[in-house]
Amino acid sequence: MSGQFSFGSLLRRPEAGAFIGLVAVLAFFVVFGGLSFLKTAGVASWLNVAANLGIVAIPIGLLMISGELDISIGAMVPAGSMTVAILSGYFGLPIAVGILAALGFGVLVGLLNGFIVVRTAVPSLIVTLGSLFAVQGLVLGLSVMLTNTTSIPLTSPAWAKAMFGTFIANQFQVIILWWLALTAVYVFVIHFKPVGNWIFAMGGDKVSARNAGIPTERLTIILFVLSATSASFVGVCQAILFNSAQVSSGMSFIFNAIISVVVGGVLLTGGFGSIIGIFFGTITFAIVNQGIYFTDFDRNWSSLIIGVMLLLAVLMNNTFRKMALSYSPKKK
Amino acid sequence: MSTPILELENVDKSFGPIHVLHNISLKVMPGEVLCLLGDNGAGKSTLIKTLAGVHKPTSGVVRFEGKPVVFDNPKQAQEIGIATVHQFGGTFPLMSIGRSFFVGVEPTKGWGPFKVIDRKKANAVAIKAIQDFGITRIDDGDRLIGGLSGGERQSLAIARAVHLGARVLILDEPTAALGVKQASHVLRIVLEAKKRGISVIFITHQVTHAMAVGDQYAVLIHGSVAANFYRGERTREEITDLMAGGEALAKLEAEVEN
Amino acid sequence: MLKRILAKSMATTAMIAVSASIGFAADIAVVGGKNDDAFWNIIKKGIDDARLVVEANGGSVNYLRLQTYDNFAPDVVQLIQTAISQGVDGLVIPNWVPEAEDPAIKLAIEAGITVILMNAGGADKATELGAINYVGSDEYAAGVAGGEYFAKNGQTKILCVNTVPGAANLEARCKGVIDGITTAGGKGEQLPLPATSFGDPTAVAEAIKATLLKDGTIDGLITISAGDADSAAIGVMQASKIESVKLGSFDLNGAGLERIKGGTQLFAIDQQPYLQSLLAVTLLASAIDFGTDLPTRPVLTGPGIVDASNIDAVLAGVSAGAR
Repeated sequence: MSGQFSFGSLLRRPEAGAFIGLVAVLAFFVVFGGLSFLKTAGVASWLNVAANLGIVAIPIGLLMISGELDISIGAMVPAGSMTVAILSGYFGLPIAVGILAALGFGVLVGLLNGFIVVRTAVPSLIVTLGSLFAVQGLVLGLSVMLTNTTSIPLTSPAWAKAMFGTFIANQFQVIILWWLALTAVYVFVIHFKPVGNWIFAMGGDKVSARNAGIPTERLTIILFVLSATSASFVGVCQAILFNSAQVSSGMSFIFNAIISVVVGGVLLTGGFGSIIGIFFGTITFAIVNQGIYFTDFDRNWSSLIIGVMLLLAVLMNNTFRKMALSYSPKKK
Repeated sequence: MSTPILELENVDKSFGPIHVLHNISLKVMPGEVLCLLGDNGAGKSTLIKTLAGVHKPTSGVVRFEGKPVVFDNPKQAQEIGIATVHQFGGTFPLMSIGRSFFVGVEPTKGWGPFKVIDRKKANAVAIKAIQDFGITRIDDGDRLIGGLSGGERQSLAIARAVHLGARVLILDEPTAALGVKQASHVLRIVLEAKKRGISVIFITHQVTHAMAVGDQYAVLIHGSVAANFYRGERTREEITDLMAGGEALAKLEAEVEN
Repeated sequence: MLKRILAKSMATTAMIAVSASIGFAADIAVVGGKNDDAFWNIIKKGIDDARLVVEANGGSVNYLRLQTYDNFAPDVVQLIQTAISQGVDGLVIPNWVPEAEDPAIKLAIEAGITVILMNAGGADKATELGAINYVGSDEYAAGVAGGEYFAKNGQTKILCVNTVPGAANLEARCKGVIDGITTAGGKGEQLPLPATSFGDPTAVAEAIKATLLKDGTIDGLITISAGDADSAAIGVMQASKIESVKLGSFDLNGAGLERIKGGTQLFAIDQQPYLQSLLAVTLLASAIDFGTDLPTRPVLTGPGIVDASNIDAVLAGVSAGAR
């Protein structure tokens, strides 16, 4: 019975709504934008955006599943790119030093966020709002103090370009491979290892989870480290790819990541969701964000179209989640 | 006579200057259902938290199988077999039955870093455990907890605690929010647990439920045991009065005398 | 004896001359943005260089900077009042928040202080308030210059990429570009990007790539900020149009200057903040000390075009902190 394939049980999975939303927006833009949207350059245009966003969106999704939120990623993306640009671009240190320092800074901010969240009863939204501004201010202040500018060029050696910031076939950012690999690791750990089960339990009922012997505090801190470091990593890849870093970038990652996660079927209040769902949600967001350039719509309407389509995607998700919850086997 | 599985002797608990529990002495035998009765604020929740390892007694002794025990945290209490099930506690509405059942103690298969949750086994064990308690309606371990009725969820939580080795079950108002039919599911599970030799400390407001499953009754008033008696020693009316805090009883007696 | 008296009187004259210079040479206050704001540090370089001239004539220059931008309007007004209470002769002030600043600036003028508006305000505002001039840039004029530069270089269809649509000064930049190229016989259009793309270089690059692929007639591209040009450069490359699409940008950054030097970016439009403070301070001192009057109104410090022809001098200016 449970081993058999059933269409109904597929529909009840957390990623069902996200997948159908993805297909719907893809169809929408093929209709209004033509098939060029599905050719190499078209696919690259949303896959590249999805990859950059997806690496941040998955840990944000995990935090949301566990009942927390991290908006400091908005400052961590530019912090990552500025760290590598200042150290390796401005001061000329080896790029590996810059990359490690950027990731190390991510770990540090993540630890700080995590410790404050578990040690105090302050909601993580507020804690990370604080670190968002603090990191922003630190990066701006240090950048101006050390380099007297807010935009720093970076020339990377070939190996770093090849690993973090190059194009495959002149179209696909190499970060796509990182994204796919990380997604596979996350799927395995979250959906197949016990620790994944613990994260869902934490989001469902933190007290019960702790009573069941789950190290909720340690897990929370790890998740914050993961999100801050992932954001920093994306920043590093951006700086290497675009040969430049700006203090002012990154804020849109906060909203875009949260939207992708919610479109991907994660419940805002925690306890429900899936990595594959977030993966689809991120692609859906990227398609909606980039698709308009393939259509003849007036560009001034793009924000409106993005907003409406994302709202529809979320509503569809809600419908599927209700289906999953209200499901009970047929009366015998 | 055999040793009580859990025994409290002159247990006091105070938080600073506030004395919550006074001189509590109770005994629970294996396979016995102790109904803990009392009005709100009588000290019931402090008492069960003291048993579950959340609080330490200020003075007095807690004995488990005759040996004095002191718990530093709830986990230690769980490890020796004292499990507290709060209303719907230990179940996660948006998780599947199988996954929820094994949170924290997931059965795994495979090797090294590739050790993964054995979903089939988890589902099968969970379903068997709950069906053994007589809830046969649940047969798919992939269903979400949120789709179960309140009684089924409570039953699942109890089955989980028993499966994980509980020898004393503390049930905190398990029937409070349930309808008559749902509550009877839970009461049946209490009796089933008793049949397996598990002791149950059952906190409730509903005399009917207490009468249905209780072997022993303790009434808490203002942090003291006001009455402790066995099944059949008091009538339903007497118990009701006791639960109302004893005041109704006192008033009644006064009226009779006059 | 005579000799001694003569020497004594000369000394007295010298003393009078010294005290006269303290009394009459221009003491000037300049109000500016935060310490960690790079733009206002270039402004500072202009002030420091102008100070050499002012001090040579016996005057002084005081740069009053905002500590934060959190309490903006009241803090600016407070700085104006500080300048008034210090009894300065001249004030250089950006007209950032007219509603709050205008009454304070009028008070300063009533107190006998000569005022020049700098960076924000405009010639009309200067006339209205009674300030002697406006030194700064004009976003629209800068855009027109960009459009004309493209036309002169042979481009006919220009895309102005606006990552913050709706912001008045940035809209003016794009409008200027479009008007500039249109007047010269070409065509121009704006590409407004949604807020969800702001700060995500990949999203900006992909939007530009898609637009270039969709419209093959575009042969010129300009971004409203220097950072966006970094994204645009990648977008052009992905569209395989490095040869056929020329890139320009508003404002300067290191990567953009490298592209101009390397030939992958045509030009950048600079509002030249160094000139704003250098000119404002020296003009003001000269007007106070010597009664000069510059008939040019407003004094536009931009647009300055940075391209292959002057890139080396610009790079020297960058390392000197003047660009």
